[in-house]
Amino acid sequence: MEWQSPAVQQAVSLLLFGCRAAVPALFLAVIWGCCASLRRGRRREEPVMMLEDAPSRAKIPVLYWENSLGRSRSCDIVLPDPTASRDHAVLYRREAGWFVMDSGSKAGTFVNGKKIQTARRVAPGDLITMGSTALRLKRVQPGDLKRAAAARPAKRAPRPAPLLLAATAAQLLLGVQACLQPEAPVFEPLLPLAGLLALEWALFAYSLKGLGRVSFELETLAFLLCGTGLMLLTQASMDDAWMQLLTMAAGVALFCGMIPFMGDLERVMRARPWIEAAAVALFAVNLAFGVASHGARNWISIGPVTVQPSEFIKVAFLFAGASTLDHLQTKRNLTEFIVFSGVCIGALFLMRDFGTACVFFAAFLLVAFMRSGSIRTIVLICAAAVFGVFLILQFRPYIMDRFAAWRHVWEYMDSTGYQQTRVLTYAASGGLFGVGLGRGYLSGVFASTSDLVFGMLCEELGLLTALGAAGVLAAFAVCARADVTRSRSTFYSITGCAAAGMLLFQAALNLFGSTDLLPLTGVTLPFVSAGGSSMISAWGLLAFLKASDERTYAVRRPKERR
Amino acid sequence: MKTTGTRSLVLLALLAAFLFGLVWFTGEFALDGGGWAMQAYNGHLKGGGQLSYAGQVLDRNGVVLAQSVDGQRQYPPDEATRRACLHVVGDSDGAISTGVQSLYRAELAGYNLFTGLAAPDGSSLGNDVRLTIDSRLQAAAYQALGGKNGAVAVYNYRTGEVLCLVSAPTFDPANVPGDLETNSAYEGAYLNRALSATYPPGSTFKVVTAAAAIERIPDLDARTFTCTGSAVINNNEITCDGVHGEIHFADGLAKSCNIVFAELAVELGADAMTETAEKMGFNRSFSIEGVDTKPSSYDVSGAEAHELAWSGIGQYTDLANPLHMMILMGAVANGGEAVQPYLVQEVSSPLGLPGKTGAGSAGPRLLDETTAARLEAYLRYTITSYYGDETFPGLEVCAKTGTAEVGGGKQPCGWIVGFSQREDLPLAFAVAVEEGGYGRSSALPVASAVLQAAAAG
Repeated sequence: MEWQSPAVQQAVSLLLFGCRAAVPALFLAVIWGCCASLRRGRRREEPVMMLEDAPSRAKIPVLYWENSLGRSRSCDIVLPDPTASRDHAVLYRREAGWFVMDSGSKAGTFVNGKKIQTARRVAPGDLITMGSTALRLKRVQPGDLKRAAAARPAKRAPRPAPLLLAATAAQLLLGVQACLQPEAPVFEPLLPLAGLLALEWALFAYSLKGLGRVSFELETLAFLLCGTGLMLLTQASMDDAWMQLLTMAAGVALFCGMIPFMGDLERVMRARPWIEAAAVALFAVNLAFGVASHGARNWISIGPVTVQPSEFIKVAFLFAGASTLDHLQTKRNLTEFIVFSGVCIGALFLMRDFGTACVFFAAFLLVAFMRSGSIRTIVLICAAAVFGVFLILQFRPYIMDRFAAWRHVWEYMDSTGYQQTRVLTYAASGGLFGVGLGRGYLSGVFASTSDLVFGMLCEELGLLTALGAAGVLAAFAVCARADVTRSRSTFYSITGCAAAGMLLFQAALNLFGSTDLLPLTGVTLPFVSAGGSSMISAWGLLAFLKASDERTYAVRRPKERR
Repeated sequence: MKTTGTRSLVLLALLAAFLFGLVWFTGEFALDGGGWAMQAYNGHLKGGGQLSYAGQVLDRNGVVLAQSVDGQRQYPPDEATRRACLHVVGDSDGAISTGVQSLYRAELAGYNLFTGLAAPDGSSLGNDVRLTIDSRLQAAAYQALGGKNGAVAVYNYRTGEVLCLVSAPTFDPANVPGDLETNSAYEGAYLNRALSATYPPGSTFKVVTAAAAIERIPDLDARTFTCTGSAVINNNEITCDGVHGEIHFADGLAKSCNIVFAELAVELGADAMTETAEKMGFNRSFSIEGVDTKPSSYDVSGAEAHELAWSGIGQYTDLANPLHMMILMGAVANGGEAVQPYLVQEVSSPLGLPGKTGAGSAGPRLLDETTAARLEAYLRYTITSYYGDETFPGLEVCAKTGTAEVGGGKQPCGWIVGFSQREDLPLAFAVAVEEGGYGRSSALPVASAVLQAAAAG
């Protein structure tokens, strides 16, 4: 039978349609499975330590890895004691053991009768005195656990290997589509696909067998997106696909490096000024030697490679913003972070990279709110930002022209609305199941694989798969939120939420910018879009999410713990 | 840690906004996707915007009104049918925006929400669109117009199926004239006058004045009016075509006596006239296949007494839309309640996916039931007593003609609006002939020809 004969072509068409219909189902299964695994796999809110009130022998559970103690109702452990300060002390766990630190109380904090000046390590049996309250640190006894919680039947969480297998199946189905082209079958796309599979299963083996971790949900979700983007790219350009795979490996390496680095929080806190300085220096280099590319001066060339420094600064930004609870309780003001954020966002404005500036601003708001909890501060900052944007537009009104087509793209079909109208037209042409990988027309439009990649997903793979990709990014936010009080430190909670927020906000700018619900700002879709710097930084941000999952730093498997 | 947990709810707010955006986009995708896809630059549309590989447009009897053969859009072999159906079917370029080939372009090109423009088996077949139109009646109406401009609209007032919708000037979609844009004879040729034009209604508006009088003047039939060929109202002369002498209301309507209706309009007053006109569908538009008709208008705010008098006989600033007048006649025939007309019977899809099927829906009540019954009797009397039943042989027609002065040295616009009472022929119609002269001699023969063709079918 000839490949080009109508009968073969029709059979191939039907086969491909089946593949396209199966991919969104696999997306749904993987997202659901990963969320269920995270929800069921995380620790129940059970005490990790106990405090015993010395005179009354009443037991107080210590629920978190970092706990604030004080008279205030917002404290994790409330001291009903008028002589204690509102925020009196912090009790927290580090690799070396439990520590107590006074957070600027009036009466001071005493361990075994001695007033402490700095963080002081405490062991079970030690007596912590705050005001007229004396608490003794105790290990958790079996009787301390709530009976009901212990008796609750544990529904089995999906195992990591089947989840990764499901993601692999989706990638293989995409690979089949990439190979079966109308003119003749091609096998070139199988090579980067093999590379991707090797990378993800190697990381799986290293994490679970090498490091003894129990969870792989976040990585599975990320690889699902990476595979989708990679297979789209094989149709546009094999060189780009190889580049994408290479930077994916670099991103995974960054991910693997960042997690142990963040394991020692004291080291992270010490390194913070250096990270901030490096970020500012990188911006300065960018501003001095930056290359303008399509309206934004956000590239620098180093020999044969061009990089987008702002992508790496995203990672540095979160390091700069977040803090452990003992730092939060002792140094309360945001000034340093506000100044740093102002420098970053200002630099992005100078580069005319407004999309990334928005992503930074959103991350800044998230971090600022999670640190201070003050809605007043946030409103003030937003008001200042609006005023600032207003001032900029007064002096540079032409900036608005870039966004003139917003919500009127059909009137600007061949000028500033060109990209958006093409995205809408081709997205609609794809229907729910797409026209098939490599059979789309949007690929001929500038930035189709980066800024407009959501349109390509819709056109070639269908609306359902495109929504599935959006769902993966939404799942990151759900995971970060679910982990937030289980994290080993507020540093992990805040960076985890901010990283998820950054990914989600950037995805929103990409999706809704290209489909004209928001002005088109030209940012990438994390993990999917072509772009090395953006791929590496997405994995960097994922490391924060991974770190906020307390199981990441639990070396022993839960089986052995019991 | 607890407060950090509470504050992290802000992330859920961001997530909610993101999901809201996705739902919004999906909604727009479902509602507007067809329009997004139908762009000339879209490579998935073979032949670009020319419908070269699109589905068929069929009339109610399966007669092909448009189809694509070997990458060419083809129209029926008979030129009169092509010209008559142009405004309903539309042209290949989509210049006639109210034509089915524009309104259903996406469906004809094969678009559907589920598979977009890509059929699972790799084919690219368009969907077929079957209309309620009868191409025979179209041709009959077009030929009866005899080269004059105007509009013909006929529908089944029980089901809402539009059987005939013709507009002139028209052109041949198979041989689009080169001077279409420059020749004044083709001025407004892209417009479907039945939907998108209004004309002064002339005496057909007396139906509205009559309805207002029926509802507000209890002894209407007992009254006598005196017509001396003219009357002076507010120092202005109102003229009548005849000198009718002592005349009753029913004959006043049958003989279309201006004096009777001028006096009635003044007696009823601007408020009552406006109320009835608006109830009967003036100053609003009707919708057919998503196209809003040009609203008929009746506006006597600030009118002097003689202007009010002229408005009661369909002059002054009165304007009427042919499709609206057809619906109004359908309402009279239906006991006051109008059935909304529709044009597309069915959109089939080659894959058996759910397609659209059309149906008439109950429209607004335009008249009270008793008013409708009495109007029906008067309109029947108009035909039997004045025009003669032989003008509509065997069709049991109730109707009213009109001859509307348009000014500017042009001949009057001829009108007829009405319906057949026959149970097996429940058709309402409106015909307007530009520069037709008397409605009786210009519009009435058109209506009669179309109804006879319908009865013969």
